[in-house]
Amino acid sequence: MREAADMVDVNPFVPFPATLSRVVDLTPDVKLFTLELDNPEDGFDYKPGQFGFVSAYGAGEAPFGLTSVAYRKEGLQFAIRSVGTVTYALHQLEPGAKVGVRGPFGNFFPMDDYRGRRIIIIGGGIGFAPLRPVITTVLDNRKDYAEVVIINGARTPQDLCFATEFDDWAKAPNTKVELTVDAGDDNWKGRTALIPDVVADLKPSPENAIAVICGPPIMIRFTLQGLKKLGFGDDQIVTTLEGKMKCGLGKCFRCNVGEKYVCRDGPVFTFEQISGFIEQF
Amino acid sequence: MTKTLSKNELESWLGNILKERTLVAPRCVDDLTLFLPVASVDEIAFDCGNTDLSPKDWFFPRTEALFTAEHKDADIEITPAVIEQETVIFGIRPCDAKGIAILDGPYLADPADSLWAQHRAKTTMIGLSCSSPAPQCFCTSMGGAPFDSSSVDILLTEVNDGYIVDAVTEKGEKLLQGVELKESDVSGSVPSCDTQVPAEGITEAVKRAFDDPYWGRLADRCLHCNICAYVCPTCYCFDIRDRTEGGKIERLRTWESCQSKGFTKIAGGHDPRVDKGSRLRQRFCHKLLYFPEQFGPLGCVGCGRCVVSCPVNIDIREIISDVQELGAKVGEGSS
Amino acid sequence: MASDFTQQIREKARELLEDGTVECVIGYETGSDGISARPAFIYNAADVERLVFDNTCTHNLVKYLLNKKAKSTAVVVKGCDSRALNLLLSERQIERDKAFVVGVVCPGIVESRWNERSEQLQKRCDWCRQHTPVVSDFMVGDPVTEQPPADFADVAEEEAKTAEERAAFWQQQAERCIRCYACRQACPGCYCTDCFAESLDPEWVGIRIAPAESQMWNTIRAFHLAGRCISCNECERVCPVNLPLSLLNRKLEQKVLELFDYRAGMSEDAPAPLITFKKDEKLGIAE
Repeated sequence: MREAADMVDVNPFVPFPATLSRVVDLTPDVKLFTLELDNPEDGFDYKPGQFGFVSAYGAGEAPFGLTSVAYRKEGLQFAIRSVGTVTYALHQLEPGAKVGVRGPFGNFFPMDDYRGRRIIIIGGGIGFAPLRPVITTVLDNRKDYAEVVIINGARTPQDLCFATEFDDWAKAPNTKVELTVDAGDDNWKGRTALIPDVVADLKPSPENAIAVICGPPIMIRFTLQGLKKLGFGDDQIVTTLEGKMKCGLGKCFRCNVGEKYVCRDGPVFTFEQISGFIEQF
Repeated sequence: MTKTLSKNELESWLGNILKERTLVAPRCVDDLTLFLPVASVDEIAFDCGNTDLSPKDWFFPRTEALFTAEHKDADIEITPAVIEQETVIFGIRPCDAKGIAILDGPYLADPADSLWAQHRAKTTMIGLSCSSPAPQCFCTSMGGAPFDSSSVDILLTEVNDGYIVDAVTEKGEKLLQGVELKESDVSGSVPSCDTQVPAEGITEAVKRAFDDPYWGRLADRCLHCNICAYVCPTCYCFDIRDRTEGGKIERLRTWESCQSKGFTKIAGGHDPRVDKGSRLRQRFCHKLLYFPEQFGPLGCVGCGRCVVSCPVNIDIREIISDVQELGAKVGEGSS
Repeated sequence: MASDFTQQIREKARELLEDGTVECVIGYETGSDGISARPAFIYNAADVERLVFDNTCTHNLVKYLLNKKAKSTAVVVKGCDSRALNLLLSERQIERDKAFVVGVVCPGIVESRWNERSEQLQKRCDWCRQHTPVVSDFMVGDPVTEQPPADFADVAEEEAKTAEERAAFWQQQAERCIRCYACRQACPGCYCTDCFAESLDPEWVGIRIAPAESQMWNTIRAFHLAGRCISCNECERVCPVNLPLSLLNRKLEQKVLELFDYRAGMSEDAPAPLITFKKDEKLGIAE
């Protein structure tokens, strides 16, 4: 084993310096932040599903799923809802502000394994953020994947994240985009149904399919039930779990579900893996 | 043949160490015994049993700045924490030293926690064997021993007018440079730690008993304070938060316990461990199941501090025994 | 006497569980050292033999009623504990008809350290003038006549010190506090869902485990208990670093007594001075 004396130099809690390059309102309480690393040599190569910690110095640091894809070189994008101290502080920042970022952490969606398969993407609310890089990767490499069905739900039409991209997604070949809200407004002409009901209505076939789902725990539970009823196997349903985190390094032991660390063994898990967990998430 | 040091020689050696490094030793403060820095050798409590709080404070401080950040014009300047002071801990017992050593598992795993590594590199441990284990001690059941030298740099064992000195590591030998040890044929008595706790196979048993309602019933009386985690030499969970003072921002790490309400509550309000039973179970699963599965040793060294300090007598020795029984029943049922 | 108390409690518990009056009896049982009691939760009549009552029964079991709100629960209370019950009733934290109160006339409780037998009465028992529970559905033991009211000699002794001496003393205490919050968790008066100590915004205390923050923590908690503390002193008993928390609580208790002639928890509906405004109330304390 390496001696402690050899490990003193790199402090893994120190963030990479970064600058906020762009802030875009996605919904009344969600903003899309784009960060650029101040030192390009700070390696930050990431894959869909991974996450980073963003620091608003003085307020603190919190983990967020990366919603961009590294290969597009459009900066590190995070969709952040203002719910607490750190996210509130981030929401007050303007482009040009100095922040910190640590990562990339966690495992990732094995996009190569999904090639040739039918991709069903199901997300609710802010839970859609970590699914966006999956969609981007699939649609940027459209020929490598079969039919794509995207189901995005939210409480109201204003709460649908990435609304400006829906048309582009729907334009892709063999790609269906289904939107649904709990409560529409005067202009809403789409579905008003819960996500599991939309799934039951669309009846996506499980043949050679992968269903990637993300959202509040209760949405995941019911959607999972619905997919299983349609014949999806546990290894065909994959999700990204959320856990309260502080270090992201597997040291503070806060994010564990049983023996699994959400920050290291996850956050991406298939349901086959989750049903083997000793503890319920 | 053993090497020995008289009490006077020991005190003189410690007095010299004191001049160049921080010397931490058991000290009596009112009616508590704590590992604290001493200004003179007279302050050392040579005859206390084990301390009320573990010495983990000296490697994993109750509060520590990970780095500081300062706004400099339009930029932010970050200064990572550096531990410069050399420390010697005198009087650390084999159980506590083992506790520190096993925390190398999570803390030095990639990416290594540089602060922990610095504390370890800058600290030399002069251990003291236990000549009479206390009623709450059960180190031998957890893979340790009252005279175990494996985790210290030097191990002292009390004999008639002094101590047998065993230099265990290079660091220990270095600290002993210039100290004249006398050759002797005296040998220390080998005390036993008599309390038998049935820890063999506990990891399997905990796994089998995971869903038993036992945990909820045990948790009925648990107050969900942080005492057990804070007195324990091997509990290592922490909280991180920023603190601003005079324009300087510190990112602080502090002790925290999985027992506190809200430990696992996430931003949307969902809390996977909202009920007391699952929180209490988490602590024992961490120590007896997850930790050994990942790092090897059990996450408990048998110091007994939680047994003494828990206000409602949640006793890990009793729990281990109960869980073995429960695990056996589950085993029977499934075969 | 004690063994008779134990018998009475067991019989009553058996009765209450068998006829379904309660789902759980919260009492005491002997702990793992074979000496000191610990809280016991009895759900089946078959288990009532676990229950004991002796002079090591230090815990204030009333706190646990807050975890059992929807259920009918019996709880064993001593004099001080019963005042905590009144406190929680007056603050509408528990419903009277969900609690079956087994009052025990308290013999005085001894110091408890794990595995040590002690005959030394706890300090709070010297101060106590309410050995008989003020509320009960079933009483074990005969009501006792109390001695004349105790003075606050411990508070007076502290106040006799100079400001510098006191500052140094409390600084020393704050250095020992490790913010385990056992004091808060043991206290029946501390039941806020979101304690001020954990507030991020505004950050009243801060997470640093250091003297400045610990002073804030202990001082503000004492103020939150002013006029509410019933002197069970469990906070001081559970503290792993022996902080003299009773000094803080009793200083405020003395003040409240002086200003309002009020003791917390003596009845379920006496108006609590710090949350009650009377038009004819004196304005200007200095008068």
